[in-house]
Amino acid sequence: MNQSQSGPMRISVIVPVGARQSEAELLYSEYQRPLVRRGATFEFIFVLDGPHPTFEAALERLAARGERFTVVTLTRSFGEATALMVGFEHAAGDLILTLPAYAQINAEEINPLLDKLGEADLVVSYRHPRRGSWAETLRRRMFHGLLGLVTHVRFNDLGCNARAMRRKVLEEIPLYGEQQRFLPVLADRQGFRVRELAVRQCAQDVRRDRTQSYARGILDIFNVFFLVRFTKKPLRFFGMIGVALCSLGALALLYLVFERLALDRSLADRPALMLASLFIVLGVQVFALGLLGELIIFAHAGGIKDYQVDRVIHFPAVASEPPPAHASHAARPVAVS
Amino acid sequence: MSSPAETDPTTFLRPDLSVIVPFFNEEDSVAPLHAAIVQSLDPLPIVYEMVFVDDGSRDGTLARAEELARTDPRLRVIKFRRNYGQTPAMAAGIEHASGAILVTMDGDLQNDPADIPLFLAKIAEGYDIVVGWRHRRQDKLLSRKIPSKVANWLISRVTGVRITDNGCSLKAFRATLIKAIPLYSEMHRFIPAMAWMAGPRIAEIKVRHHARRFGHSKYGLSRIYKVLIDLMVIKTLASFTARPLLWFAMLSVPLLLFGLAAMVAGITPYFSASAHVSLPFVGSGLMFIAAALFVLAGGALGELIYRTGDIRHHSFAQLTMQSSGRGSRT
Repeated sequence: MNQSQSGPMRISVIVPVGARQSEAELLYSEYQRPLVRRGATFEFIFVLDGPHPTFEAALERLAARGERFTVVTLTRSFGEATALMVGFEHAAGDLILTLPAYAQINAEEINPLLDKLGEADLVVSYRHPRRGSWAETLRRRMFHGLLGLVTHVRFNDLGCNARAMRRKVLEEIPLYGEQQRFLPVLADRQGFRVRELAVRQCAQDVRRDRTQSYARGILDIFNVFFLVRFTKKPLRFFGMIGVALCSLGALALLYLVFERLALDRSLADRPALMLASLFIVLGVQVFALGLLGELIIFAHAGGIKDYQVDRVIHFPAVASEPPPAHASHAARPVAVS
Repeated sequence: MSSPAETDPTTFLRPDLSVIVPFFNEEDSVAPLHAAIVQSLDPLPIVYEMVFVDDGSRDGTLARAEELARTDPRLRVIKFRRNYGQTPAMAAGIEHASGAILVTMDGDLQNDPADIPLFLAKIAEGYDIVVGWRHRRQDKLLSRKIPSKVANWLISRVTGVRITDNGCSLKAFRATLIKAIPLYSEMHRFIPAMAWMAGPRIAEIKVRHHARRFGHSKYGLSRIYKVLIDLMVIKTLASFTARPLLWFAMLSVPLLLFGLAAMVAGITPYFSASAHVSLPFVGSGLMFIAAALFVLAGGALGELIYRTGDIRHHSFAQLTMQSSGRGSRT
């Protein structure tokens, strides 16, 4: 829409390097080849998330051979999303390409991924056909299905980190920790056009499911649930739980009182009374938490924008008119929480 | 279209009035509404602008608005990236408007722009906020009017701002005031209540209300829960900004009383002949007392949040025209 630059788009390739990594020299040459063929101007940014001596040594060897790239080393592991954001701070390109530091997708898929950016702001790849045991497939299906239910957008493979995007996507969506998986969900929510593209999986991409993955998946879904649904209206959520608990307790209490009055069952020695009180008390507390959440939102409302302005259409009367005070909004997207 | 703005050098100055209209899938209404606004405002000796906010419409709303903007320099169109809802649309319109007085109205032609001069007259009288009242409302009784009546009654009871019709979008504000009020989620019906923190002078005038000509209503009955919750939020915020802690203290008092009563009821038998303490009573009492303390602590936490935030109650005080106008509480 506002891509009117002349000349080829510059591409910044960000590679966050975590515990999973393949051989740096091979990776670099693989990733570089399609970009060279494309004839694009590009830069590579490696972000070492914590000390990774072997990878760093390999990068140094590459540099000694005259290859040009940026290496950012983090003092300790901050998570892939943080690494991504640090890399982004050093990126100068109009297009951002994030690639995993291990063989996950066939490097030849990079160009189709970039091509598809013509019709989207963020292109997410998903590995297809996908290898893996039936248990892994089931877990993946369940995870993505559940996530789709919560967020109302369906993605096939949030674990695939090969993504191409316009610069503004990362400018507007602050990520931290391990949130890079949910970038497509958050971007969609922010009103960006997000598209999916099937890519061939790399033969070396094998991953074992562990029980941890299940726990992680559930936590992740909760995380997104809060991020997407209730960050703006905490009381809608906490209030729902609070009111439900409270009314449950109140009903139980009413019943007990009814039994005391009508059937003359002594109230003083019934543990059910404590249960009823517990529900009421819990409900009130959850509700109070929701109110506090609202207070937080309100107190910081100056920095919160509920909306994203795509563009401002205005045809001033005279050409020589000084730009109106709001012209800045047209150029700079409104900041968002 | 011959517009005075093309020849009038005062256009470069700040307009006196901005008319803000959010649109969502209202392609048939854009041009008629624009024409109606122009028709009713052109006779007035003021410089005005229009801010149309396209809330991510999927029909031809944006195209029609853009067409109008080409011929009318007083029209500014804000396009949202997707549908965000009426309150964000109003907030965006308010942010991009540069007039000294802002008028908001619906994009569905149910409000009549011919009423705008009345609003301006009221503002000129010294009111900070003028709210429309659809006294002959043209909507369905059961699904629209009755819930709205109940909601309005509740809002005025809870907030103490006596407005007959909070849901009417046709409102006029002094720009300095409304721009300082945070608008988020679905708060637009609470603007007067929110603004009350600043102690503005609020007037209410009857407006015309037309039945829907095009499109269909985007509301449903499902809003009741949301309105109730939002009301709770408003009450908390309003009382908190005025007297922090008080609201939470008020919440904790019934808990505390209940807990103490249960404790007393549980312990008294001990001093009688039976010498028997009722464990469930004492346990429940302890729980309620603990909850009271918890809520009080929450209030203290709220105080901390409020202090570190960027909204200040006293900063509202300078926003109204007559800060002495606080007496107009009715």
